[in-house]
Amino acid sequence: MNMHPIEQEELMAYLDGELPVDRATLAAGHLEHCRGCQSLAADLQGVSRRLMEWQVESVNQEIGAVVAAALKEPGAKPRRRPRRIWRWVWAAAGTGVAGMLVVSSLQLASRRQKMQLAGDQISTLQAPARARHAQSIDAISAARHFSEIMIARTAELTLTTNDFDKARSALEDILKRHSGYVGQLNVNAPPSAGRTLDATLRIPANQRDTAIAEIKKLGRVEAESQTGEEVTAQYVDLEARLSNARNTEQRLTEVLRERTGKLADVLAVEEAISRVRGEIEQMEAEKKTLTTRVEFLTLVVRLTEDYHAQLHMAPDSILGRCRNAAIAGYKSMVNGMVAVILFLLAYGPSLLIWAAVLFFPARFAYRKLRRT
Amino acid sequence: MISDEALMLEFQGGSREAFEELFARYREPLYGFFRRRLESQERADDLTQETFLAVIRATSRYQPRALVRTYLYGIALKLLAAERRRERRSDPALQSDAVDSALDNSLWVRRALEKLDPSEREILMLREYEQLSYSEVADLLRIPVNTVRSRLFRARMALKNYLEPQPSRDREGAKT
Repeated sequence: MNMHPIEQEELMAYLDGELPVDRATLAAGHLEHCRGCQSLAADLQGVSRRLMEWQVESVNQEIGAVVAAALKEPGAKPRRRPRRIWRWVWAAAGTGVAGMLVVSSLQLASRRQKMQLAGDQISTLQAPARARHAQSIDAISAARHFSEIMIARTAELTLTTNDFDKARSALEDILKRHSGYVGQLNVNAPPSAGRTLDATLRIPANQRDTAIAEIKKLGRVEAESQTGEEVTAQYVDLEARLSNARNTEQRLTEVLRERTGKLADVLAVEEAISRVRGEIEQMEAEKKTLTTRVEFLTLVVRLTEDYHAQLHMAPDSILGRCRNAAIAGYKSMVNGMVAVILFLLAYGPSLLIWAAVLFFPARFAYRKLRRT
Repeated sequence: MISDEALMLEFQGGSREAFEELFARYREPLYGFFRRRLESQERADDLTQETFLAVIRATSRYQPRALVRTYLYGIALKLLAAERRRERRSDPALQSDAVDSALDNSLWVRRALEKLDPSEREILMLREYEQLSYSEVADLLRIPVNTVRSRLFRARMALKNYLEPQPSRDREGAKT
């Protein structure tokens, strides 16, 4: 009976990083406890180590000069086999120079688009498992290399204006004109101070300079600051992780489709797919956020109104004053009555008790005084 | 780091710097490829140089459907095959430096490799020294991936036996 769930060739492929995920998981699990396979793995690794004993010396540096000459100087002398190299040099240089001229003149306009396409094509090429992540990063880097660096920008403006209402409506106009939007907006109007507007605005990055210049005209600039954070590496890393996760998901789905094993294995693969899908969605959200941060400038604006205290010089009318006096008298009367009632309610019971207690001694004392 | 494929496209667009970067990346690996397959160090230098010159000549024909690495080793394999044909036709004395160059620490490895079947040896060397994946080897040699895997396994197991310490036999082999 065969006790090994994987073949020897598969074990070798596992050590080479060439096995699909499901088989690799199986191989790793089996290798942990199978002495026979551990021995085979040690043998295979030993062979690789022994092969590495055969190191060769470095290449002759002169060939660099010949190749460079083929690129730029048709007259450069070859290192050896002069006639043949001369022919190579002339032919290659002629081809290279002519090719460069033709290619640069014809393809310059379409180069950028071509590079982007290349990035997509490269990412779909077959790559060794051990280099897949690095290749994804390279491909995306290559694609990004030909576009501008990704910078997430933020700016802050503090303005003071005489005409708050006009400035606010102008701010909304500017936002609309530049296809921006309000992230957050708060307006405060304290009684003894000027109104303030605190807003977080999102403006397309390609219109940021114009928009900021227009907003600065809305009042007196009290403070201004701008910051930029380069997120190219973050984006590239995110794209690479996303690409790898998608590949993993695809491979797991294929495994699930083709699998005819135990129910527990199927459930394990489904669980893995679910986990990977969650990671993909999380990374897609992060990517979207990052892209928005790059494509839109975050502008924090604080607009303050110049405060002018109000002074009322005109006296009140007689009728108004009489009305106010009548109201004051009425309030005073009501307040007095209420105060008496409250006093009686508060102290009445105590006064009655004391009156009852002191009544007879007082009457006795009064009568005695009258007799004398 | 910019990928090889993007560099190749830049070179197609006229960038010399892109080619220089590719040259710097593949100069030593390609030399190692030739050096381990040829007895003559000089010829290994020449063929490394010719590989790059061939790339310069064939710039316009490169299509980003294949990895540059596979593309370069494909050219190298063709040049190597032509070189071997030429060697077979030329004076056998050209191969006389084989014994001298074999007197180093890698003697046993080289001898063991020589004992392998040529097709298995090529697969093993492409995998171990050029670090190509199974599918890249399959593309280069135009054989199925499963064949690459089975031959590679056979080659490794055979090599393990050849590399087992057998001092007496090896000594005898060294004398001959």
